[in-house]
Formats: sequence, C-alpha cells, structure tokens
Amino acid sequence: MAGQSIIEARGITKIFPGVRALDKVDFELKAGETHILLGENGAGKSTLMKILSGAYAPDEGEVYIDGQKVRNFDPRVARRMGVNIIYQEFNLIPYMDVAQNIFLGRFPRRHGLIDHRRTHAEAAALLERLNMKIETHALIADLTTAEQQMVEVAKALCIESKALIMDEPTSALSERETEQLFATIHQLNRQGIGIIYISHRLQELSQVGDRVTVLRDGKFVGTRAVAGVTVDELVGMMVGRAVGEVFHRNYQSPGAECLRTENLCKGRRLRGVSLTLKSGEIVGLAGLVGSGRTDLARAIFGVDKYESGKIYLFGKEAANFSVADMVARGVSLIPEDRKNQGLALILSIAENVVISSLNRLFPAKFISRKRQAEAVMQYVEKLRIATPSVARLAQYLSGGNQQKVVVAKWLCTKAKIFIFDEPTRGIDVGAKAEIYALMDSLVKEGAAILMISSELPEVIGMSDRIYVMREGAIVAEIPHAEATQERVIEYAMGAEEAKRHQQAEMARDN
Amino acid sequence: MIGQTFLRRMPSAAWVIVLMMLVFRAASARYLTIGNIVNIIQQNSILLILATGATLVLLSEGIDLSAGAVLTLSGVTCARVMNGLMSSGSSNGHAMVAGVAVGLLTGALMGAITGGLIAIGKLPPFIASLGMMGVGGSLSLVLADSTAIYVNNPVFSFFGQTLDKSIHLPLMQYLSMPTFIAASVFLAIWIVLYQTAFGRYIVSIGGNEQGARLSGVNVQFWKWMVYVTAGILSAISGVTLAARLEAADSIVGVGWEFDAIAAAILGGTSFAKGKGGIAGTVLGVLVIGVARNGLNVAGVPSLWQPALMGTIVILAIVFEIVHSRWREAVR
Repeated sequence: MAGQSIIEARGITKIFPGVRALDKVDFELKAGETHILLGENGAGKSTLMKILSGAYAPDEGEVYIDGQKVRNFDPRVARRMGVNIIYQEFNLIPYMDVAQNIFLGRFPRRHGLIDHRRTHAEAAALLERLNMKIETHALIADLTTAEQQMVEVAKALCIESKALIMDEPTSALSERETEQLFATIHQLNRQGIGIIYISHRLQELSQVGDRVTVLRDGKFVGTRAVAGVTVDELVGMMVGRAVGEVFHRNYQSPGAECLRTENLCKGRRLRGVSLTLKSGEIVGLAGLVGSGRTDLARAIFGVDKYESGKIYLFGKEAANFSVADMVARGVSLIPEDRKNQGLALILSIAENVVISSLNRLFPAKFISRKRQAEAVMQYVEKLRIATPSVARLAQYLSGGNQQKVVVAKWLCTKAKIFIFDEPTRGIDVGAKAEIYALMDSLVKEGAAILMISSELPEVIGMSDRIYVMREGAIVAEIPHAEATQERVIEYAMGAEEAKRHQQAEMARDN
Repeated sequence: MIGQTFLRRMPSAAWVIVLMMLVFRAASARYLTIGNIVNIIQQNSILLILATGATLVLLSEGIDLSAGAVLTLSGVTCARVMNGLMSSGSSNGHAMVAGVAVGLLTGALMGAITGGLIAIGKLPPFIASLGMMGVGGSLSLVLADSTAIYVNNPVFSFFGQTLDKSIHLPLMQYLSMPTFIAASVFLAIWIVLYQTAFGRYIVSIGGNEQGARLSGVNVQFWKWMVYVTAGILSAISGVTLAARLEAADSIVGVGWEFDAIAAAILGGTSFAKGKGGIAGTVLGVLVIGVARNGLNVAGVPSLWQPALMGTIVILAIVFEIVHSRWREAVR
C-alpha cells in the first residue's frame, strides 16, 4: 500500500530556552500510509509537527519533501508543496458557511468579487469526492463537531495535497463520528495521500495506522509496523518502562454509606435514579454519552435542580442543596472539562488549591501568602504534583498535573465524596496510572468515589461496583467480580432488553 | 442564505419598532403620519452610515469609540477648507470638492491611526479608539475655535437637503440627499461585506482570528483596513451632517458612537465571533430613530429623554435575548 517517501526528516533538533524539545529525531511519511506519532505530552510531537508543516525552523537536521531538501520552509511554502496540517483547535469561522470556510484565503473571483456560485460548486464537488454529506450553505456554528472536523479535512484538501497532518483529531468526537473520520482517512490513503496522525488513544492504532513512531522526551524511540507491535510494547516505549498493570486497586470491604439517591427525576434526563455510595469504595458510572451520567453528577452536586426524589448525605436528607451546601458537607466534583470548569488557568497552583477553602484557612479574612504556600505544599508533596514551585500558573501544567491540582483543591476542603467525571480524559498513559493510584489511595483513606467514565477498561479496572445508565435510568448494577466489557456495553446499549423482547415474542408465537 | 438569516433575525428588532409605534401612537395622534415617518427616515440616515461602520468593526471583534469624534472632526476640516478656498476666490463647486475630499481624508487618516494602533501596535480596540476619541474631540474644538463654522455654499448644502428645494416636482419633499447617500453607502458596504474577500476576511477575523491567519489571510492588514473603512464612513457621516446643518459644529458628534454601536447590537450583531450583519443594523437604527422621534412628538421633557432612551435600548436588547432564546427552544 505504502509507496514513495513524501516527507523525510533527518536528525531534527529543536532547542527552546532551557529545553531540548527535539533531539536528533528521524521521521518518514510514505505516500498512501497513515503514520501514527505517539508520545506523552511534552514528548515533542507538536514541535515535530510544526517543523514538518513549516511553522518552526529546526536548529539542526534537514527536511526533505519528495526527496528534495527544503529551504526557507514556512507554512505557505509547505502548503504549496502539498503538506497540510489540521490543528487540534478548530480553525473554522463559526458564522460563515461551509463553502466560504473551505475557500477562505483563496476565493474564486469574478470581476474582483467573490464568485459564490463557483465557490459552492467546487466545495460541493470536493465534499462529494470525500464522501461527506454536508450542505455547503450551512453555517459552521450549526454543524456537529464531527462535521466541523470534516470541513477541516476538506479545507486542507482543497488544494493539491500529498500529506495531511492531524493533531488528535478524535479527541472531541463520539465513537460513530470517529468511525466516520477513519473511513475518510482510509479513503485518502487509497488516493495516495500520506497522513501523519497524532493520538493519545492506543486502541485507535490498529483501526487507522500502518506505522507508528514513538517519541519520548524529545528523542526518537523507534518506528514499528502497527501489525507487528503490541500495546504493552508501545506503552513501554512511551514511558520508558514496561507497564504491566495500569490499574492499581486494593479492594477492601466498604464502610458506612455516605451518599444515597432515591428516585431522582429531572425531565427526560433523569428518570428515577437510585444509587448508594459507601466510604472506601469506587463506584463506576458507565453508559453512553447522553445517558444522563453527567446530569446525575450535576444534580447530586447541586449544580442543577432536580424535580423529585431525594438525596441523603451521611444519612441526612439534602433537599436541593446548592453547590456551596454540598461542598460544606464534603462533596466534590472533578469535572471532565478541567480547563474551563475545574481550574482557573491563569491562577497559580497555590491559588487554585486554596480557592474553595479560603474561609477555613484564613478565618480572619486576610490571605497570608506564607500560610497559603505551606498549606499547599503538603498536597503538592502528597499528590506528587510535578512543578518547580506552587507559584507556577495552572495553564503551564500537563493534563495529569492539572487533574492533581483539582483533586488537591478538594482535599483542601476536606472532601469525603469525590465525583470524578472522566478522570483521565486527555491525560497521557503514564500520568493515567498515577491518577488511578491517587484514586485508590483516596478510598483507602476512607473517601468515596463516584466515577463517570466512558473508557471501559478504566471502569472495569477501577470500580468496586458499576452502575450502568441508559436513557436517564440505571439499568444494571454489576459487582467488580462479574464485570466484563461486553456486559457493560450490552446494558449501556440496551442489548439485554432487545434480546428479552425477542425471546418473549418467540415464546408468544409458540 | 442571507435572506434566511435576515428573516430569522428580523423579528426581534422589528417587533420592538412596531410596539413602540403603537405606544407613541396612543400618546400622540400626530405620530403615525406619512410626514413623520419620512422625517424619521431622513433624520436617521446619517446615523445609519455611522452604524454600518460600527457593525463592520464589531464583526471583526473590535470596537470604535472614536466614530463620533471623527464625525465631528471631518465636518470641521471640510468646512474650514471650503470656507478658506471660497474666501480666496474659488468657485463654490471647486471649494465643495476640495472640502469634501479633505473631510474624507481626515476620516481615513484617523481610522488609519486607530487601526494601526490596534493591528500593528496590538493595543486593545477599546483603549486605542478611546484615545483617538479624545484626540479627535480636542482637534475639533481647536480647529473650530470651540464654536460652529457656518458654511454658505449652496452646492455643498444641496447634499444635506430634501429635493424639493432644488427640483420643483411633486413629492420631492419626501426625498432627501442624506437618505440617498446613506442608501448608496449601505449598498456599497453590503457588496463589500458579502461579495468581496475583504468582507469575508472581516467576518473571519472576528470569528476566529487564528483560523483566519492559518488560512492565509493577512490579518494585520485587513484589521487595519476595517478601521480605515470605519473612519471613512464616519467622515461621510460628518460631511453629510455639515451639509444638512450648513455648519460644522465642534461638538456635534458627541455620543453618536454609542448610538451607532447600540444600533448594531440591536440589529443582532454580537461583540464576539463575527456574528451578525448589516441588514439588522437598519432595524437597529430605526429602533433608535423611532424612540427618539416618539419621545419628541410625545413631548417628553428633553432632560428626561436620555434616561428613557437608555431604558428603551436596554429593554430592546433584553427582548432580543429572550426572543432569540425562545427561537432556539422552538427550533
């Protein structure tokens, strides 16, 4: 399948003040292949991509395109040579239509004005060729994330393209949308276009990749054919040590009940949810996106009001408490979108950690920087937050360390109940293991964790018990010993019910 | 597409206009006469020119607080040059052409400075244009010696009048040059915004500046051009106003920038993401025009008028928000 070399990088070194971001890295992309670039955050993937797409100039080493060494490389030159990049943040214009977005910066013109008819005709032809069913007159703001992603792809391909670089393209996509994107990638491969694909998700490798290159700490670790490599081997290459078991759990018999909901209802989102959570246990909340898991977490935490039902905290009823009431009673929420909802990115680690405990730490209402730093240091050490100083701004931390800061914030409020919404979303494999170890040590110390997760291995590997939600209701409770991925999926997708229906109908017919 | 967006947005501001007309009609029988409606349109033509410029700036995720000051200054430079040439023996026509040209150049220059501070100097638009508002206001006072410069030039005055003064045919009192100028400017800006790359670049810069840059749009240059264009539009407003008043007053434009921005917002243009368009701005201008005219006709004391105007604008925007949420929910 793979043909000639399109891009070749030899001995690339890039130095930023104080950091050797890339150190003699080799990389090659062949026509018609998908080459996955793997590595933890800070491994140098983004820097390498920026060099290959002309955004950065390397300090050492050479880039060859179609076998020719490039000079004075910049994004415009790269694009002219057929190398395009799709960044993680979308670069579309929300209140402009699809066709105009695709041709932004190179509109077809007639008499000096934009030729709208040709813009739309060419955009439609391009989308058609890529098998994308998107209306060219639709506003970007009205499209789903997956459709926006497709417009990005179409936009990158609207000029003669040989190579396409995609930075974590599936991070915002649902499973079905991901499959759609993979189909597009395969089609592009068949047309001879080479794709560099950057991802955190190991399970995607075999679905989409031909070869995989691993970077670690700016160094080239190796390139392998996807067909001949195991996940364990890759994880070992990424973290520099073999990771046997990512999930560390010391199961113990749970203590007293600390949270119970009875028949919680809210419109179509929650239909009579009853669950219990005891100290010393991790309870997984599985289900598809939109099954009501986040609605449940928000209702429990007091963010959204519920219509009927009851919530009991440590045996006492908590009737439509506010978030402040819940926090005061030891409940905490570690949200999925930690950058927007979990942290204040422009504040320091210390300020983030104490923000919910100011009254407790400083009863006199005046903040003492010294006492603040002391209070925070103990959590930094306990949670092993990797930072030179507690004064570092949260935005400069890796995803794993940001998550630890959110947890530290709640530890500082003396929280006893932790609701984790997708605890390891967007966190590297190495850091994931640390978050799991942290969760285990929390429950060992008597806390209770309710964990919403879409990653089945995580749910199965970490939970004492698993509740499965579907269409706003809990449809199953599975103990740790009986949990398999297949069972959880069957409940989450309603397969059990479908089977029962089928059997009942067959029985009736007989 | 444009028509669809227009229809989807039109109701909110249009509802407010209809509602106000009913209220004012109840307060005064003189209100809903043809004469008064034409009056509203004629009085607000100049505001429409200014508001069109404000809309372009808002679409690029900027703001131009200097619009009123530039309006004043352009009128003053125009009048001074015209009077100077006429007193040294130039014909009315020549003086008019030179005066108008200098007025428009003044606006372009002020816009170029504001835009340069923002696009090249990376100053926040609010701060840069606030500074230029002070500069423009002060220069106007100095050049006009803190009073009004009267212009006695029939060729120039023609551009501020209703047509019955020069064309003796029936119904000509209903047509005025400022309305004609505003309509032409509006049409031209419509074409710029929807049919030229410049217009699309404005929306792309407001919608996603980084995305525009990575699509090969020269963001710095086009951002600068937005303010130059807005400056020219302010100048057209100022020169037309001077023609209508037959004088360039040194403080005539104070506060106009806020009416212009309010009109754009009332018409559905947003402060962020390049959302909106100039079609709604016409309605936004009418909301302001109908309200101000209604308060006058209803005999509301002038000291109370600003308070009521402010209240009406706030209520209209609250209505717009509620209405658009309702529309989202229905959809």
